[in-house]
Amino acid sequence: MKKTFTFLLFSVFIFSCDVLEPDPQTSLPTATALVDAGSAQGVLSGIYSSMQDQDYYGSYYVLTPDLLADNSVYEGFYDSQQELDKKVVPINNLWITNCWVDIYEVINSANFLISKLAEIEASDRILGEALTLRALAYFDLLRIFGEHYNLDSAYGLPLLLEPIPNNDFNEIPDLSRSSVSETYGQIIKDLDQAIPLLSGTSTTGTFSEWGALSLRARVNLYRKNYQGAFDDANKVITEGGFSLESSLESIYNTTDKTSESIFEVEYNDQDQSSFNTNLIRRDEFNADASLVEFFQDGDNRSGLLTVRSGKNKSAKYPSGGNDNNAKVLRLAEIYLIRSEAAVFKDNNHNAGISDLNILRERAGLPAIESLQSHDAYIDALLYERRAELNFEGHRFFDLVRLDKSGEILELEDFRKILPIPKEELQVSEALTQNPGYPTE
Amino acid sequence: MIKLNVSYLLGFILLFAGSYLSYSQQVITGKVFDSDGSPLPGVNIVVLSTNIGAQSDFDGNFTISASEGDTLVFSYIGYNQEQVVVGSSLEVEVQLQQDTEQLAEVVVSVGYGLQRKSDLTGSLSSIDGNDIARLPVSSLDAALQGRASGTYVSSPSGTPGSGLSIQIRGTTSISASSEPLYVIDGIPMISEELSGLFSGGQKTNSLADINPSDIASIEILKDASATAIYGSRGANGVVLVTTKRGESGTPRLEVNSYYGFSEVTNVIEMMTSHEHLQLMNDAARQDNRDLGTSYADNYISTQWGQDPDDVDLETTDWYGAIFRTAPIHSHDISLTGGNQRTKYFSSLAYYDQQGVQVGQGFKRFSARLNLDSEINNWLNIGSNILVSRTVSDRTINDNSLYGVVINTLAGDPLMPVFEEDGNYADPFDYFGWWMLDNPLLVAEQYNRFTKTTRGLGTIFAEVTFSDAIKFKHATSIDYTSVVDEAYTPSIARESSNASADGLGYYDSLEDFTWVTENYFTISPDLGLKHSLNAVLGTSFQASNRNFVGIDAQKFPSDQFLKLAVAAKITSGSTSGTKWGLSSYYFRLNYGFDNKYLVTLTGRSDGSSRFGEENRFGFFPSGSVAWRVNQEDFLKDSAFISNLKLRGSYGITGNQDGIGNFASRGLYGIGSYRSGATLVPTQLSNQSLGWESTSQLNFGIDLGILDNQLNITADYFIKNTSDLLLNRRIPGISGFSSVTDNIGEVENKGLEFLISGRKDYGDLTIESSFNVSFIKNEIKSLAINNQVISDSHVLSEGHPIGTFYLIDQDGVDPQTGNIRWKDTNNDGEINNGDRTIVGNARPDYFGGSSTTIDYKGFDLNVVYQFIMGQEVFNHSRASYENLGFNRLSGSFVLPDGNNHVLAKNRWKEPGDVTDIPRASLTQKNWREYSTRWLEDGSFVRLKTITLGYDFHSDMLEKLKINRLRLYLQGQNLLTLTNYTGLDPEISQNARDLRLAGSDFGTLPQTRSVVFGISVGI
Repeated sequence: MKKTFTFLLFSVFIFSCDVLEPDPQTSLPTATALVDAGSAQGVLSGIYSSMQDQDYYGSYYVLTPDLLADNSVYEGFYDSQQELDKKVVPINNLWITNCWVDIYEVINSANFLISKLAEIEASDRILGEALTLRALAYFDLLRIFGEHYNLDSAYGLPLLLEPIPNNDFNEIPDLSRSSVSETYGQIIKDLDQAIPLLSGTSTTGTFSEWGALSLRARVNLYRKNYQGAFDDANKVITEGGFSLESSLESIYNTTDKTSESIFEVEYNDQDQSSFNTNLIRRDEFNADASLVEFFQDGDNRSGLLTVRSGKNKSAKYPSGGNDNNAKVLRLAEIYLIRSEAAVFKDNNHNAGISDLNILRERAGLPAIESLQSHDAYIDALLYERRAELNFEGHRFFDLVRLDKSGEILELEDFRKILPIPKEELQVSEALTQNPGYPTE
Repeated sequence: MIKLNVSYLLGFILLFAGSYLSYSQQVITGKVFDSDGSPLPGVNIVVLSTNIGAQSDFDGNFTISASEGDTLVFSYIGYNQEQVVVGSSLEVEVQLQQDTEQLAEVVVSVGYGLQRKSDLTGSLSSIDGNDIARLPVSSLDAALQGRASGTYVSSPSGTPGSGLSIQIRGTTSISASSEPLYVIDGIPMISEELSGLFSGGQKTNSLADINPSDIASIEILKDASATAIYGSRGANGVVLVTTKRGESGTPRLEVNSYYGFSEVTNVIEMMTSHEHLQLMNDAARQDNRDLGTSYADNYISTQWGQDPDDVDLETTDWYGAIFRTAPIHSHDISLTGGNQRTKYFSSLAYYDQQGVQVGQGFKRFSARLNLDSEINNWLNIGSNILVSRTVSDRTINDNSLYGVVINTLAGDPLMPVFEEDGNYADPFDYFGWWMLDNPLLVAEQYNRFTKTTRGLGTIFAEVTFSDAIKFKHATSIDYTSVVDEAYTPSIARESSNASADGLGYYDSLEDFTWVTENYFTISPDLGLKHSLNAVLGTSFQASNRNFVGIDAQKFPSDQFLKLAVAAKITSGSTSGTKWGLSSYYFRLNYGFDNKYLVTLTGRSDGSSRFGEENRFGFFPSGSVAWRVNQEDFLKDSAFISNLKLRGSYGITGNQDGIGNFASRGLYGIGSYRSGATLVPTQLSNQSLGWESTSQLNFGIDLGILDNQLNITADYFIKNTSDLLLNRRIPGISGFSSVTDNIGEVENKGLEFLISGRKDYGDLTIESSFNVSFIKNEIKSLAINNQVISDSHVLSEGHPIGTFYLIDQDGVDPQTGNIRWKDTNNDGEINNGDRTIVGNARPDYFGGSSTTIDYKGFDLNVVYQFIMGQEVFNHSRASYENLGFNRLSGSFVLPDGNNHVLAKNRWKEPGDVTDIPRASLTQKNWREYSTRWLEDGSFVRLKTITLGYDFHSDMLEKLKINRLRLYLQGQNLLTLTNYTGLDPEISQNARDLRLAGSDFGTLPQTRSVVFGISVGI
């Protein structure tokens, strides 16, 4: 009896040895995450879902350029946004610290997918989208952290184009920064490869051929390849099948795509952005008084600013359910790109008037007949861009690339771009700080 | 028990035989008492030099056969042996005296076994369950405050049923838990917070599932020798809780109840409406002088349409609106009994505490059955079963937008709580910027419940192979179900700002953990000189946890809580996780000549959380002790009755901070456009392992004058390396950090316990005092000087919980402005000027307990003290804004009302004060500076109890065994210079790195209860 009993007890305890290898229930090991076309589509969609991060297209990347410029004023709690609003951004600013990593997350997913697509059978579209997303991410990083306005600058980005080996943190390479032209070169290379792969696609919630072309138009404009920008923009306008919405409200009072949407990061009520939270609910990113006063008489676009609780606010993200999309690329901007490219490529300050007038007409403003000078064109362009694209993530970059940041924002030259985050400098030997900013 | 049966039988046979041998044999009857005159049951009585024996019954009565001239020997554990020579009388009455030396021979639980306290080589503290059973607190950890040396127990708020922070011998970890392992009746229990409901900074308390009055004793294992048997979970110390067990004899029924009231320990006196308006006008006036502005006289009060001299101006008492005097009551009933073979302890208890803040409360229902059965002479089987249900009625607090206390802090005195129509006043209709919603609305109308159901069941079997070898098996399940339900009503700003029509939330967590322990205990008889006791065993544990979470909006009205009525579900998901631990352990105790003691302990732990390259860790320890008083030169000392020197060294671990799958490279599942996506969630770290703590301990136990005075002192150095920290990695990987073993922290300290007992006839005085000096220092970090909040930094050479603030030199008497220290000399005062200015750690802490017994009366007084800790009064930093107006527009809305101390602000040149001038625009007053760093030392009258036990004469008339009445006060008096609500506070109870910050945190409570205990 004693023996039997003891034997029983022992068997219980031998029974219970296998406790050390539980499997995670809501995630996959990296090695088995991407094995076929289906999982490739999953990883691709995952890149878009990484872009939804609050620091990126979830709202901050879109709202910050207006805060850094004269469109928006921060009236909330957070130090990080207060620093951005004051335009004196310390190297430990929280948003730059997070945004650097979050945008590189998009790049790493794209790198992983692009490298795996060499091994598995999947449609060209997936590779095309992955390349376009990587191009967008590098371009967005460059606008914040690199001297994007100076093609001769050495201050581009560390270009990581391969996945981290074995997904092991010990194998993260210590990359130094490539030059601005090398960075643009990589972006254009990805887009050049992507566009033919995307031929025939036309979605707005993911990158289509037109989305990639529009992005290349914008990148070319920034890198001063005006012919390239003009050609791409012209192709999107003439062949893309997009059309301007006749009423301004219908661009924004919807959580669906509109006839002028080219690429939007989509949200729904379970997969939310935070535009409405930041703009309306929390009363934080309010409209700057100078934006309110800036509109010409009769410009209907001023109607997209409202007053709530005594504060001026943008009405571009009205849905309280936070399912407002991020309008990354829309047709109105492409008209503005074509206009600007036309003027600069031929050095003819009247070459872009007709495209400006298309937008002015919709806004209820009289057409511009002709302009006296190049400067007058720049003023007219900046008026249109500010009136049309406020709270959509452009203002600061426009002022910087058109060399107006000193005049309009009274910005010291080195502050045209933000500092490399302190935390990155602490863990990388090769990474260098932008000129003018402290390294620690 | 077998032995007793045998001796009965033998006695019976011998009696029978003896009746033939000698007619002089007679039956003696008698009674045994203790020194108080109470009957003593279970006393062994034998006739000297014979095998005749008996045992006293429950009333102390016995019968035994003996002849005149025989010697009866009375013996009972804890009492001096008595010998009585049988005379002519057939009745004998004997009084046994307590044996003070044997009393010291307390047996304590050491993890996988028991040990005599005198044989201990390691360091532990013992607490008697009776001392903590019926304090008006919801959980056993709260009852430990001030009672054990080296054990820092801090209650971060007065939230009922909320989690405490216990650190045994310092803070060993930065990011992982520094809380000890809790072992209930041999079973490691899940003790972390399980609720997922947002509450601000306070956590729920899994230990509140245990009814404190079921506890027989608590042992706190402190040094490596004591904790190494718990291996990778021993580094933060181990708290062993032993619950009450049955005793043979007549069943005993005990009924206990207490009833009382609680309130907050303190409220802050804020300015009246008059004073508030005067300050605002003064701010404009001061700006005119200092900044050259040209505001009109009474600029603000005119703007607001208020007259500071209006005698009818009312002041709203916001603290009065949210705080209340709240009832607390507790009832428990227990039944103990059994026969020689089966013994039981069972209890049923109910505890109900309303919160001192409106909207809070905590209730517990619990039942326990502990059973021991002796199947035969080699097999004992038993079980312990606990079932409990707790319901916490919660509110949001601390640093959160809709926290009740934080919205109250700077409440506008001009704003009423309710409008005349009975609706809650909306702060946005009044002149303060501070409130985001009416705090009483949040307290009363938000529904937030956490309901926990817990079952903790163990079955064990002990097999005795021989006197030398025993085997014990125990299998246990620990099941917890936590359901959180919350509803934010449509009238709340949180809901209306989101156009949500009510925000509903439901989540549940189910944790199922099983443990199976098997161990041999070997204690061979090696003769008189040598003693050996060995434990060798295995343990396997696995835990499975599942989660559900649902958010909903659009409720038809505010009377519902269930999500079925919500028109819109905004998110819903389920998930789960698992971990497992397999362990092998041993302990060897060797003693030579009762003088020299050696203990060797080791445990090998394999954990599913560790990286593949580091799956198993081994945790050894060794200790020695020398019982000097057993040496010939001290043996007969009248003065020194006990002297033991101890030394130990060992390594233990902490694996709590490692996520269940933290070592693996993973892709998680997300969604985009309602489709499933795969997103990278973490990089791999195959060498991830436990935090490793080496500890060196020297101790001395000294007993003087028959152990009437006992002193225990310990010195320790605890060095924790391989700290689990987030290693910052290059962001180009798409990740900012991985969990890695880096960093080192040291705790060293001295702890003393002095206790004494003196009898003066009817009067007995028992007193103890403990004090601990613990120094904490971060030795190395992945990145030095990490600023981790507005007020805290992690810096090598400084302790965890170091404050990082702008420094200043008080107020300039000429200008009324603060004299800042521009440490980076850039001409600006901002974040860049912050510097290390102090820390939240006490220099020393401890407590004292004194009990006086006199003829049935007893008075117990427990003090607790924490000295030298600093508190960052983040609350006051935010509300004492001296008129600061956040908005750029011309209409002035200040941050809120000020502390009455702001009446002493600087007003005219030459004023010497520590509070600067008022201003509408000078934000610098508000900067997080040393102005708000205060001395948080305090001495607290933790508990005072006056009780009376009715005398046995009275009890006999009432036909009961015991009747006790008592009056008890908790936290009645607090001596401190702190200007906030209470110095014992932390807005972030989950994070010791941010210790000592007070921001919208509910203060401690004081209570008075009246109790009654009846034993039948």
